[in-house]
Amino acid sequence: MLWLIIKEAWVSISSHKLRSFLTTLGIIIGVGAVVLMVAAGQTVTLVINNSFASMGGQLVMLHPSFVVTSGIKSGQRPSITSQDVDAVRELKGIEAAAPMVFATAQAVYGANNWTAALRGSTTDLLVVNKWEVEKGEPFTSKDVKSAAPYVLIGATVANELFGFNDPVGQIIRIKNVPLKVVGVLKSKGQDLMGNDQDDIIIIPYTTLRQRIQGSRIPNRVNFGFIKISDDEDMDAAINRIKMLMRSRHNIKTGGEDDFEIRNMTAMVETVKTVGLVLSILLASIASISLVVGSIGIMNMMLVSVTERTREIGIRKALGAANRWIMLQFLTESVMISFMGSAIGLALGIAISQIAGSILGYEVPISMWTLVLAGAVAIVVGILSGVLPAYKAMHLDPIEALRYQ
Amino acid sequence: MSKEPVIELKHIGKTYFMEGGLSQEVLKDINFTVTEGEFVAIMGPSGSGKSTLMNILGCLDRPTVGSYILAGREVSHLSDNQLAEVRNKSIGFVFQNFNLLMRRTIADNVSLPLIYRGLSDKTRREIALKYISMMKLSGNQDRIPSQLSGGMQQRVAIARALATEPTMILADEPTGNLDSTTSDEIMELFTDLNKAGKTIVLVTHEPDVASYATRLIRITDGRKEYDGLVKNYKGLSK
Repeated sequence: MLWLIIKEAWVSISSHKLRSFLTTLGIIIGVGAVVLMVAAGQTVTLVINNSFASMGGQLVMLHPSFVVTSGIKSGQRPSITSQDVDAVRELKGIEAAAPMVFATAQAVYGANNWTAALRGSTTDLLVVNKWEVEKGEPFTSKDVKSAAPYVLIGATVANELFGFNDPVGQIIRIKNVPLKVVGVLKSKGQDLMGNDQDDIIIIPYTTLRQRIQGSRIPNRVNFGFIKISDDEDMDAAINRIKMLMRSRHNIKTGGEDDFEIRNMTAMVETVKTVGLVLSILLASIASISLVVGSIGIMNMMLVSVTERTREIGIRKALGAANRWIMLQFLTESVMISFMGSAIGLALGIAISQIAGSILGYEVPISMWTLVLAGAVAIVVGILSGVLPAYKAMHLDPIEALRYQ
Repeated sequence: MSKEPVIELKHIGKTYFMEGGLSQEVLKDINFTVTEGEFVAIMGPSGSGKSTLMNILGCLDRPTVGSYILAGREVSHLSDNQLAEVRNKSIGFVFQNFNLLMRRTIADNVSLPLIYRGLSDKTRREIALKYISMMKLSGNQDRIPSQLSGGMQQRVAIARALATEPTMILADEPTGNLDSTTSDEIMELFTDLNKAGKTIVLVTHEPDVASYATRLIRITDGRKEYDGLVKNYKGLSK
């Protein structure tokens, strides 16, 4: 008989399609909103993880202090040199230390040209930033010493300048300086900010500073990118770097650092935590609409019971026990909630996927969301249906049959 | 061969208790027995208590005092759920305003009480079609009530009442919403059902309708005023 009551509930719902649909609207929006918010949160987390995965490990950035407060002793502004970075590399617990020089330049190959980001560094950059060379070979430390005219190009640059041809061994020109492509970097895609990480040319910093920029202080770099060994205590290593730099820059006790050591890993953790907190906050706010949706169902079910007073009287007169009436209305409530949840889930997933593909992000679909939607459906359905079902089952058949 | 008693009312009384300690005695010491195959009309002016008596007979209400044995079972003190079961098994209701589910098909309407017996869809439809045919409504099983005339709707209700093969048909002003021609048709139908052996209890205030029955019970001011053959009661003619 249970199955028959469930069928009766279904027939009741489908014989009032518009009313049933309007009842589910609240749940559709509620579940849809929560699914959307959860997807947004998970996408942000995924992007963060992917972006920072290319860094991985304990990373630290060493750069000149941006704020100059206590006067400039030697008449020079604060700076980091390649020797500073070399000295850091020799410290205990440092796996790699890469100097970094930033520039933007137009690269020319035959009739093609392309403006790309230029990164002057040593081979340590490949370790620190987890770059892999897909075709060809990276340049060597000897090449760096000799400011050899060799470059590694990213996938986008390879595409733009060479199309389907093999770039390895070809000569490109930057500011009229001929440079041989010795290797192509493996593709990384977009980063957290939406920047194309493959639009890059890695070149020995010596070559960049001396040959291309023609600088008179070729050893000055923008910053140092440092990777601390995984089994080394990060704070202790950072302290060592700080002591070394203070001594190298002749900073007296009590004097301010003219450099900054930024803990990238800590930053990443902070960003991740912020991302998580944001996700939870968004989902919680969206859940409020679920409460509203639930109230909507209860409201409509109460109205439905009143409207169907005569019907309930008929059923009771014909022999429906109180519990079958209660079960029918409770089932109707759960079914409505379930349908609303399913539609809300589908809509939430659809919208988040479409938004993701428009904005260029991969939006994960988690099993968790599906389970959550199902659980919400049942709980909300039962809670909203209890009061109306109770009211229905206690109607007096004689009164109910008289109801107009 | 003697027929079994279907209804045995002994010293049935019903009192309504209201606020302020007031009470109203609606039925006083009602006694009668109905045997299988009888066609009884219960008549009375409004306020006489006949509606209350009908509700008790139909197991929709319980008497305050007295004993009601229906098909051999004492039902005066049963719980709500037990009464529901008794109604499903023993009573076939026919109401003045038909009381069909307007959005469901005729077949669904006729088979409605069978849901509460747990019968399968297939069985229920078979039974429904049988009684739809018996009521000369074949072809209408998938229509909805609003597509049928009043007389046809009442026949659907009668088919529904018969579908559970109850101990008795209990009809409350069954022709109240019908014109006189259709009324006669429906009352002829009841007569045929009774001839085939069905016990019928009819509640009405119209003498023309009551005259189709064989036995008349008249209720006035909560008491039984007359209990005998219809044709012997002065003031009634066919």
